Amino acid sequence: MAFWRWFDIARLRWRSVLRRRRVEQDLDRELQFFVEQEAAHLVNKGMSVEEARYAARRALGGYTQIQEECRDMRRTNHLEDLVRDLRYAARSFLRDPGFTLAIVLSMALSIGATSSIFSLIDGVLLRALPYRDPGQLVRTFLNSSSYSKFPVNPNDFRDFRQQNHTFESMAAYTRTDNQLSGNGKPVRLSSFAVTAGFFHVLGLTPAMGREFSEADEVSGGANVVVLSDRLWRSQFGASRDVVGRRIWLEAIPFTVTGVMPPGAEHPGNTYRAVAFGDTVDLWTAFKFEGSPERRGSHFLDCIGRMKPGITQRQAEADLNAVMAELARTHEGDRNWRIFLVPLHREIVAGSRPLLLVLLGAVTLVLLIACANAANLLLARASSRRREIALRLAVGAGRMRLVRQMLAESLLLSCMGAVLGGLLAVGGVKVLVALLPADFPRAADIHVNGMLFLFTIVVALATGVAFGLAPALSASRTDLREPLHESSRSATSGGDSLRLRHLLVVGEVALACVLLIGAALMMRSFSNLLHDDFGFKAEHALTATLSLPEATYKDEKSASLFYKRLLDELESDPEIAVAGIGSDLPWTGYDDNAGGFKIEGKTPPPHQEFHARYHMASNDYFRALRVPLVAGRYFNEHDVRGSQNVVLINRSMALKYWPGEDAAGKRMTFADKPEDKDWLTVVGVVGDVKDTPSSAAAEPAFWWPVAQAPFEPEMVAVLRGRSDPNALGAKLRAAVAALDPNLAVGDVRFLDDVAGHSFSAPRFGLFLVGLFAALALALAAVGTYGVISYSVNQRKQEFGIRMALGAGAFNVIGFVLREGMKLAAAGTAVGIVCGLGMSRALGSLLYRVKPFDPFTLGLCAVVVLGTAALACYVPARRATSSDPMTALRAD
Amino acid sequence: MGKPSDLIQGTLDLLILKTISVEPRHGWAIAKRIQQVTDEQLQVTQGALYPALHRLEQQGWIKAQWKESETGREAKFYTLTRAGAVQLRKELEQWERLSNAVGLVIRLV
Repeated sequence: MAFWRWFDIARLRWRSVLRRRRVEQDLDRELQFFVEQEAAHLVNKGMSVEEARYAARRALGGYTQIQEECRDMRRTNHLEDLVRDLRYAARSFLRDPGFTLAIVLSMALSIGATSSIFSLIDGVLLRALPYRDPGQLVRTFLNSSSYSKFPVNPNDFRDFRQQNHTFESMAAYTRTDNQLSGNGKPVRLSSFAVTAGFFHVLGLTPAMGREFSEADEVSGGANVVVLSDRLWRSQFGASRDVVGRRIWLEAIPFTVTGVMPPGAEHPGNTYRAVAFGDTVDLWTAFKFEGSPERRGSHFLDCIGRMKPGITQRQAEADLNAVMAELARTHEGDRNWRIFLVPLHREIVAGSRPLLLVLLGAVTLVLLIACANAANLLLARASSRRREIALRLAVGAGRMRLVRQMLAESLLLSCMGAVLGGLLAVGGVKVLVALLPADFPRAADIHVNGMLFLFTIVVALATGVAFGLAPALSASRTDLREPLHESSRSATSGGDSLRLRHLLVVGEVALACVLLIGAALMMRSFSNLLHDDFGFKAEHALTATLSLPEATYKDEKSASLFYKRLLDELESDPEIAVAGIGSDLPWTGYDDNAGGFKIEGKTPPPHQEFHARYHMASNDYFRALRVPLVAGRYFNEHDVRGSQNVVLINRSMALKYWPGEDAAGKRMTFADKPEDKDWLTVVGVVGDVKDTPSSAAAEPAFWWPVAQAPFEPEMVAVLRGRSDPNALGAKLRAAVAALDPNLAVGDVRFLDDVAGHSFSAPRFGLFLVGLFAALALALAAVGTYGVISYSVNQRKQEFGIRMALGAGAFNVIGFVLREGMKLAAAGTAVGIVCGLGMSRALGSLLYRVKPFDPFTLGLCAVVVLGTAALACYVPARRATSSDPMTALRAD
Repeated sequence: MGKPSDLIQGTLDLLILKTISVEPRHGWAIAKRIQQVTDEQLQVTQGALYPALHRLEQQGWIKAQWKESETGREAKFYTLTRAGAVQLRKELEQWERLSNAVGLVIRLV
């Protein structure tokens, strides 16, 4: 029954809106009927027809009033009024296109920018990860007094997996890139060795076949591999019978056990990182090798799915209990704690601060645009005071007036939002194109319904935000004054003027804050670029080589290959220097860095010696142009059989041999106590940090390639004498001459590798700079608006002043003073707020002092200069007012 | 619409609902019926009646239909809806309570 009532109501409302004329006619007929009926009744009582007609009319009362009241009862007035208001607003906007354009464009720009940034935030921070119950997934790290996030040892992992009570499942994975051969040209593939049930943890199931079981983890068992959808299509022609087929990775046969569906995204890893997303080509089964007693080496990234209802703290306590138990029997497990990080937080940790700063910046721009629009509307309302007073005088309700003004501001904000939405659609695409290549979840950023929903909400919110103050102020208009006064003495009401001044001060302050933020980021970026990187990237070519263990069975054959390759390359007159090493600067690192001791030194309590270890050929440092600080580089005498040597970096020298000459000092690994295995430091090289913005370089040492244990994957660095572009072909030819089955991967210039490291700060700087410029422009428009309005209002005053002998210079000074008072107040507020800026930007800044008088001063000058310019234009106009015209006007 | 009309309006709603609960009537007949029953004590002005009818209709308590009247002309007849019947019962109860309460106050104080 209630339903039918609502149905009736809905039907009637509908009718009242859409068939208004019909409803009005109905009412007309009804009232007409009353009159006739009443008249007939009166005639019956003995009145004359004429008299009865008049009496019936009188009985009915005010015809129009009844009509109006009935309309009110239909409750559709609001809608009709809205339509009328909008029509009226549109007409008045058309009469004042400059004003309309100013508001609509500034709203369009700011809404477009805000919506674009929102799309980024939505895709990266808000959207759920593409796994089952992603909230239950946590990354598991070790944590000690010297390392905050350390990878896990395989045997420890196996114990965690077996002995925990809080995880539904756990898996570990580590990067082991592979070379696929036997399918035409050999290709290098991004691949991971994963433990049993890796995909089950993520909640993914293979499209075909199966994933790995614990039986596949056994050392010496069959080699098995799961393919990604991408690889299955590109290399195996999407063949349905690929499962069970044998393929060759690093010249070793593997059996395909499964193929993942599209969208099996890599959860991201920390060491030698591969970004989150569709970034992995294949997965092999991880094999537990060697004695389960060995707990020293840590290299596994670990992920777990907590049981429902388990909190992160409970899971952490659970694994810590397992760890404590392990520490009783294994020396290597002492001093470690468990550290869990929710997967989502781990993935977006690097980009979150930047995104939030961008959101903050764009919100400031939106606020300025709103203040601007409010300001322009207030100015307009002031010049419409007479119209408004007249409306009030003839009986318009104040609420009705507020509604009308709000309709105007909403129309403006919605026009802005339509344009802004279009801008955002393009903006999102531009942003995604500008994003640093390894920006996590960049592929999840799309133009979608959320974007439009957000834009609509912003449009309504801003429409009310910038419309409310002008609307309320207009509705408070005093009736008598505006109608009495001639426009000659008309100055806008004090309240409204104060509000407008306040808005300008606020706008200038916000723009100043944003400018300070941009300036700090600019300084930070310039600090980054002008830092001493410790190596020279220009014109050096790099490439990855990976020697299959099956072909290069021992260290000797690998060393021999590298020696022959380097000899061949360096004998080319076009090549100045060629080196190989285990890795390149700024391309990620392996934190596996302990396990050695230093002759004559003991580590501080509860800590062990640690340093990153790498390998380098004789000319590796020369090719990278890493300077030698002390001692010598490696040379042709550092080969297997002669004295074991290492090079260390300056950080390591300072850390472990402070005030001493490190050259000639000795160190060795815990598992190589024999005297012949000791490593002698022969030189110290300059520091290279992990990333350009790292605080300092980590201690590190290098083995000579000729003495190092076998490492399948190496990078080559070449520097030419003339044309660097010819280097790639030369390298490929040299490798092919030695081993035609070897792939040369990732051929690129070191400049690109280095440039890549700056892409995130560059992206941030570009956007914040853009927003700051937008903010400054909007604030200038706001200042211009207020001053220009006030000049118009006081045309006569200036006319009189000039008639009385004031020079143009005086008048300009007078106007400028008025504007600059506001700008100075805004700048002062902005500078004070800007002092907190370096804190807000936090990790995005590199070597920037929190209080930098130069930066702050520069920002103040720019803001004040812009404001002065914005005031100067109306000031000029003030001088041009002809006294006679001004006095005669109106 | 000023404040005092609130009471009258509420009462008017009740009177209208009650009047048409017996049989469908048009506006004029409703006004006449109320006058007649109350011995002309209550005068329903048309300025109040028609907006009230509109409101009741919009609220779904009553329904309107064009039908031929006793004089042979088309008139808009109002009927109680089922929801309106329930509403009438509620309003009657309320009225009883209110008038009893007022009566008590008047007699005792």
